[in-house]
Amino acid sequence: MSALGILPTVGVERTPPSVLRNTMTIAQRELREAVRSRWFLLYTLAFAVLGLAVSFVSASGSGGSGLSGFGRTTAGLVNIVLLVVPLMALTAGAASIASDRERGMLSYVFAQPVWRLEVLLGKYIGLAASLLASLSLGLGACAVILAWKGIAARPASIVWLTGLSFALALGMLSVGMLISALARKASVAVGTAIFVWLILVFVSDLALMAGTVALRLRIEELFLLSLLNPLQVFKMWTLHGVDATLDVLGPAGLYASEEYGARLHVMFGAFMLAWVVLPLSAAAAMLSRRSPL
Amino acid sequence: MTPRCVHVPCTLVVCLVLGPWGVAQARSVEQGAPATPVVSAPAEPGVLGRRIAAAGAGDIIEVEAGVYTERIRINKPVTVVARGRAVLDGGGNGDIVEITAPGVTLRGFTIRNTGIDLDQENTAVRVLAPRATIEDNTLEDILFGIDLREAPDSIVRRNTIGGKALDIARRGDGLRLWRSDRTIIERNTIHNGRDAIVWYSADVEVRNNYAYECRYGLHLMFSDRVTITENEFSRNSVGIYLMYSARVELRQNRLIGNRGPSGYGIGLKETDQFSVRENLIVGNRAGVYIDGSPFTDKQPGVFVRNTLAYNDIGITFLPSARGNELTDNNFIDNIDQVSIAGRGSLDANRFWKGERGNFWSDYSGYDQNRDGVGDFVHESRTLFENLMDREPALRLFLFSPAQQAIEFVGRALPAVRPEAKFTDEVPLMRPVSIEFVPGHGEGRGTSRLLLISGVVLLGLGGGILASARDGARDRIGRHPGAVGREGEIG
Repeated sequence: MSALGILPTVGVERTPPSVLRNTMTIAQRELREAVRSRWFLLYTLAFAVLGLAVSFVSASGSGGSGLSGFGRTTAGLVNIVLLVVPLMALTAGAASIASDRERGMLSYVFAQPVWRLEVLLGKYIGLAASLLASLSLGLGACAVILAWKGIAARPASIVWLTGLSFALALGMLSVGMLISALARKASVAVGTAIFVWLILVFVSDLALMAGTVALRLRIEELFLLSLLNPLQVFKMWTLHGVDATLDVLGPAGLYASEEYGARLHVMFGAFMLAWVVLPLSAAAAMLSRRSPL
Repeated sequence: MTPRCVHVPCTLVVCLVLGPWGVAQARSVEQGAPATPVVSAPAEPGVLGRRIAAAGAGDIIEVEAGVYTERIRINKPVTVVARGRAVLDGGGNGDIVEITAPGVTLRGFTIRNTGIDLDQENTAVRVLAPRATIEDNTLEDILFGIDLREAPDSIVRRNTIGGKALDIARRGDGLRLWRSDRTIIERNTIHNGRDAIVWYSADVEVRNNYAYECRYGLHLMFSDRVTITENEFSRNSVGIYLMYSARVELRQNRLIGNRGPSGYGIGLKETDQFSVRENLIVGNRAGVYIDGSPFTDKQPGVFVRNTLAYNDIGITFLPSARGNELTDNNFIDNIDQVSIAGRGSLDANRFWKGERGNFWSDYSGYDQNRDGVGDFVHESRTLFENLMDREPALRLFLFSPAQQAIEFVGRALPAVRPEAKFTDEVPLMRPVSIEFVPGHGEGRGTSRLLLISGVVLLGLGGGILASARDGARDRIGRHPGAVGREGEIG
């Protein structure tokens, strides 16, 4: 940890168990606060309601054939996750450190015998737990509705979707915390987070689409460029996990499936991990260098 | 502790206990001999050839259980029947059975292990004469399965044909007909082959077969008046591919999950006077692919009462496809319901006729007079679909919010709204209900497991919430700074 340049603010002897204990204490505080906030309730409800609507509509439209498209339901849920989860995670991360700093909480906490990294990790873990709760409540409710509507589906797909949604939430939370570590005011941090959300959800995809049409990008270039967007990585990884092929995504998806096959899991995993680790490390570096005020 | 003291009593005990048991086992094997033959013992070479040579026309040759490794040539009209598990083993090279006389019946054998030479077309059963009946056989590990060459009026029934685990380019055809008119193909199961292919054979009936994990489940080449009913073709590259044929009837087939770079449920290439009725076409890359069909204007291409659901593309029309009429079909949640490849138009095809249109799951109108027909014309004009048709690479952005953004823009701004791809003046409000024969291999999961995983997820979420309430209070409540932060975000 000291290799990251984050030194204890108070020169006390520290052992690993106490590091863990401090981190977990902060995490629990963060989780409690997150769960009690109006935002958590609002996002959880919005996510659950949208997901349930998608499940309900796709379950009822099977046209008497007795067949139901769980693939299509998954796609609908993927769509909701892509829209809601990044917004949730980015704003939660962005508000965390900046609002503490604004209220002077940060200097208070840093005056305690804890490392700044412990504070950062504690906040991260606490918020991540709250996001996990929100996601599993929403998607769990969807699974119950689908089962009740008699959709015969592999339960692994919904578990897979939940897991990857959580991975996406972790990545976006990490970006949010970096924004938070950089911003001086909470309002600025949240505004920036929403801007980043817009870029990831809409702008980058639209730009890439325009690029495909205007610059005649080759499909392999298109696929590799799309890997840079964590939302696309999440989407492709989910589909790859559920269907074991990306051919539903047209020529670029076919190219990816045929060129990389099972290695896609590793590729998607590496890109997702990078989105979790890199922004969080940068946030840690920022936090250790800056004054808490 | 000398080894001798231990060994002697042990050996005694083993002999006393296992001896009688072993005898009993041997006796039971002897008694049950006809039912459970010793299949590993190879039969005397040439025994089948001698029995066929000794038989007269019309004789029934019963073959006992055993493994026969000889090449068999049936050159007189006899019935060859397996009694028990009779295995004809090709030993991994060449062909196995060749039928050169008309009216031969081959029934009940396990035929396995041909060579893998594609140039020689190593075949399990090759028929070179009319009126053959090949039934109840199990073909395993074969390159070509049943090959009918100029064998009209034959019957291929209840066989199971399993190809070798080879790369698709090195596989042979599970079933092939060549100039074999009036042949009946029914209740066969074919898997891991290349095609089941019908060449230059008229009046063929194909019914109740099941083909999976092949290249083409069924492939017609220049074959007229073929009826294809109640088959299932799943997880092939193409379910049914009709090429250069005429007067073909497809009814009540199930085409499920046929995928891959050129994956279609039904492909129609320069086929004429065809009708496609009551087929269930689900989860294919493209449900139906139409290229230059119908080939002439003698009769419109008929698509009636089919269900096309959850395909990436419901029906793909190439610009050469004209003169098709679609009525009473269900188009349910295909990502792209109808696509026109390239920049052609669908004007030469009709999506309604008289009072009958189709059911479109994306129809947004209503039915005030409750006659089952929507009060507004169904027009397909979504901007993203239009873009995908022109630029297939954009499918990469499917399911992303950017796709919805584009569709929203397309709806909101008339200036960028594409021309209607096609219109249905009398869209149906409810899907047409069709009775289907039950299929193979559906419902890989169950609702119950889904319910359990849903409850587990809810429990996980609830558990985290509960732990936030209990754990945090007594450990952090003491911190004076731990005040709630509600409403401060944003």
